[in-house]
Amino acid sequence: MSAKLWAVVRREYLERVRTKGFVIGTVLGPLLMGAMMIIPAFAARAGGKPLKVAVLDRSGALQPAVEAALREALFDGKPRFEVQAGPAPASAEAAAVPVGPAAAGAREAALKKSVLEGNLDGYVDLPGDAVTSGNASYYGRNVSNRIDLRTMERTVSDVLVSRRLADAGLDPAKVKTLTKELDLKTIRLSEGGEREDRGAALIFSLILLMILYASILMWGQMVLTSVIEEKTSRVVEVMAAGVSSTTLLAGKLLGVGAAGLTQFLVWSLSLFGVSLAMAGPLAGSFPMPEITPLMLVSFVLFFLLGFLFYAALYAAIGSAVNTVQEAQSLAFPVMVPIILAMVCFPAALEAPDGALAVTISMIPGMSPLIMFLRIVVLTPPLWQIGLSILLLVLGIVGVLWVAARIYRVGILMYGKKPTFPELLKWVRHA
Amino acid sequence: MNDKAIVLRGIGKAFAGHVAVKNLSLEVPRNSVFGLLGPNGAGKTTTLRMVMNILGPDTGEIEILGRPADQATRDRIGYMPEERGLYPRMVLEEQLVFMAATKGMSRKEAEMRLGPWLERLGLADWRKKKTNELSKGMQQKAQFVATVLHEPDVLIMDEPMSGLDPVGMDVMREAMLDLVRGGTTIVLSSHQMEAVERLCDRVALINRGEKVLDGAVSDVKARHGKNTVALAFDGDGSFIESLPGVAKVSDHGQYVEVRLEDGADPQPLLREAAARLRVRRFEIVEPSLHDIFVETVTGHGKEAA
Repeated sequence: MSAKLWAVVRREYLERVRTKGFVIGTVLGPLLMGAMMIIPAFAARAGGKPLKVAVLDRSGALQPAVEAALREALFDGKPRFEVQAGPAPASAEAAAVPVGPAAAGAREAALKKSVLEGNLDGYVDLPGDAVTSGNASYYGRNVSNRIDLRTMERTVSDVLVSRRLADAGLDPAKVKTLTKELDLKTIRLSEGGEREDRGAALIFSLILLMILYASILMWGQMVLTSVIEEKTSRVVEVMAAGVSSTTLLAGKLLGVGAAGLTQFLVWSLSLFGVSLAMAGPLAGSFPMPEITPLMLVSFVLFFLLGFLFYAALYAAIGSAVNTVQEAQSLAFPVMVPIILAMVCFPAALEAPDGALAVTISMIPGMSPLIMFLRIVVLTPPLWQIGLSILLLVLGIVGVLWVAARIYRVGILMYGKKPTFPELLKWVRHA
Repeated sequence: MNDKAIVLRGIGKAFAGHVAVKNLSLEVPRNSVFGLLGPNGAGKTTTLRMVMNILGPDTGEIEILGRPADQATRDRIGYMPEERGLYPRMVLEEQLVFMAATKGMSRKEAEMRLGPWLERLGLADWRKKKTNELSKGMQQKAQFVATVLHEPDVLIMDEPMSGLDPVGMDVMREAMLDLVRGGTTIVLSSHQMEAVERLCDRVALINRGEKVLDGAVSDVKARHGKNTVALAFDGDGSFIESLPGVAKVSDHGQYVEVRLEDGADPQPLLREAAARLRVRRFEIVEPSLHDIFVETVTGHGKEAA
C-alpha cells in the first residue's frame, strides 16, 4: 500500500472510530444483543411467583380433583399454582350433589372480594355442567399472563377429560398412555456434528441477516455523508492536489470499511464473552445457536463485499451533489437491489435451494444478503458460493470503475445537482 | 535541470461549450514571485488546477522543475486553492501532519517541522484544538502551514490575499517573502492587481483564457513608459479630461491618474492644474498593472505593448 493511500485510510478510520456514535454503537450493540438473549431466557425461567388461585365448583363433584391437579401442575419443573382450598364437601354422598345457588353465590362474592383485595390472584368458575359442556371461566386481576392461563386450561381440561373417560368406563391412565402424541424433535446435521435445533438457529440467522443489511446501508451512507462533507468544507481540492481521486476514493472505502469491521470485531468478542458467561448459569435452559466458522467468515466477507459495492455507489452520489438532502433522490435507485433482497428473503428461506433463491443469490447487489442467508440455513454447493462471490467481485469492479469516474468529476462540481443523463456523460468523458 | 520552476506549453481546456484556457504558454523562473493576473473568469484557477492535475488539460504540456509533470514532481508543489478547505473535525496538528503525508512527507518528519511553523504563525496554543474551533483568521494561517509544511520547492497560491484582514495580509506577505529568500518559487493568482503587484517579480496578464502580456514587472512597466501623472488637488478637476495631450483619466474625486498621449509633455498639464486648482501632489509615475491591463485589453496603447 502506498504511503499516501495509507495516510488516507488511517485518517478515515480514525475519524469514524473516534466519533461518539461509533463508541455508543459499539458498546450498546452487544448490550442490546445480550439483552435480547438474556431477558427472554430469564423471563421464561423466573416467570414470577406462583399464582394464588381458588376453585369455585358449582357441580360439587370436581373441587378436590381440580384443586389437586392445579397443585401438581408444573411449568418449567416448578409448581405454578398455590391453591386455596375451598370448603370441603360435608360427606362423600353430598359430593355429587350440585351446590345450591345460594351457597355458590355467597362463595363467589367472597372469592371476588379476596381477588380485589389482593389476597388471591384469581379463581376458576366451573359451571354445573362443566364435565359435559367443557366450559369454565377464570376471574382474575391479570388475565394477560398467557403461559399461566394456558397451563391452567390444560390442567383443568385434563381433569374433565379423565372424568368423562371414567364415566364412560375407561381407565384414564391407560387412555393417556395409548394416545401419547408424537414429539418431533428437529436436529440439524452439519460438519460441526448433530445438534438439536429448537428454532434458535433460524432466529439467530435472521438477526445476522438484519445486522448485515443495516450495516451495509449504514456504513455505505457514512461514505456518502463523508464525501459530501469533504465537498462542503472544500477540503477536497486540497486533497486532490496531493492524491489522485482514485486513491482518495479507495482510501475512504477501506478506512470506513475497516471501522465497520472493528465494530463487528468488538461485537463478536463481547458476544463470545456473553455466551461463555451464560453457559454456566443458563446451561440447558437456553439453547445457544450454533455459529460455524463458515458463517462467521461469510458474514465478514459478505459485509465487506456488500459494503464496497454500495459504498462505491454512495461515494459517486455524494460527489455529484452538494447536500445530503439532494442525495436522497439519487440514493434511492441505488438501494433498490438490497431492498428487493430483503423482500425476497422469506421466499429464499422457504426454499433455499429453489430456483428463485439460487438466481438472486448470484445477482451482485442482492447476493451479499441472499447468499449469506443460504449459507446459514443450508450449505449450498461450493461452486455456487464461488460463482456468487466472483460475480459480486466483478460487480464491485464495475461499480468502482463507474464511481471513480463520477467521483473524479463530481468532487469539484458545485451548483446544480446533475441528472442521471448528465452523470452518464461524466462517466463517458472522465 | 533547467532554471524554470514551471513551464506551460500551449495548454488549453474547454468545458461544455466554453473555452476556459486557450493555448496558454508561460515560463516561471525559479526563485521568483510570479503573478498570474486577470479578472474573474479569465482562466487563472483553471490554469493552476491543470498544473496540479486536478483538471487534465485538453492540449499542451506542463513541465515542473525541469521534468514533465507527474505526481512526484507535483509533490514538490504546495497548493493553496482559492476555496480554502480543512477537515472541520480534525485536531489541528493531526490535520497538518496528514496533509504533509498526502504530499509524500513522512509523519515523523512532518511532526518535527510542525512546531516552528505553529510558533511562527501564533498557532502553537491551538495545536490540540479541532479545526472548527479555530477563528477564520486562524484557519487561514493553518491553511498556509498545510501548504508549506512539506517544504515544497514551488508554492502555488490561488488568490492568497482573499478573505484576509490587513494584519493577516501582512503576515502572509512576510511569510511568502521569507520563503522566497529561502529559495522557494511562488506562483500566485489574483484579480486584485494592486494587492499583489509590489510582491511580484514577474507577471502574466490573462483575459478570457488567453495571455495578454507577460514578463518582468519592471519590463512591462517600462514598455508602457513613464507617461502617467498622479495628481492630488482641491477643487473641481473635471476640465482635465479635455486638456490637450491627455489620453485617459482615472478619476478618484480629489485624486486623478492622468494617462498622457505618447510623447506628450506633462508641463502644460502642471501649468493648467496649478492655475485652476490647489495642487497637493503632482508626480510622474509608472502606470499601474491595472491600467496596463485595462488598456491592453481594451485596445488602447496596443502599439506600446
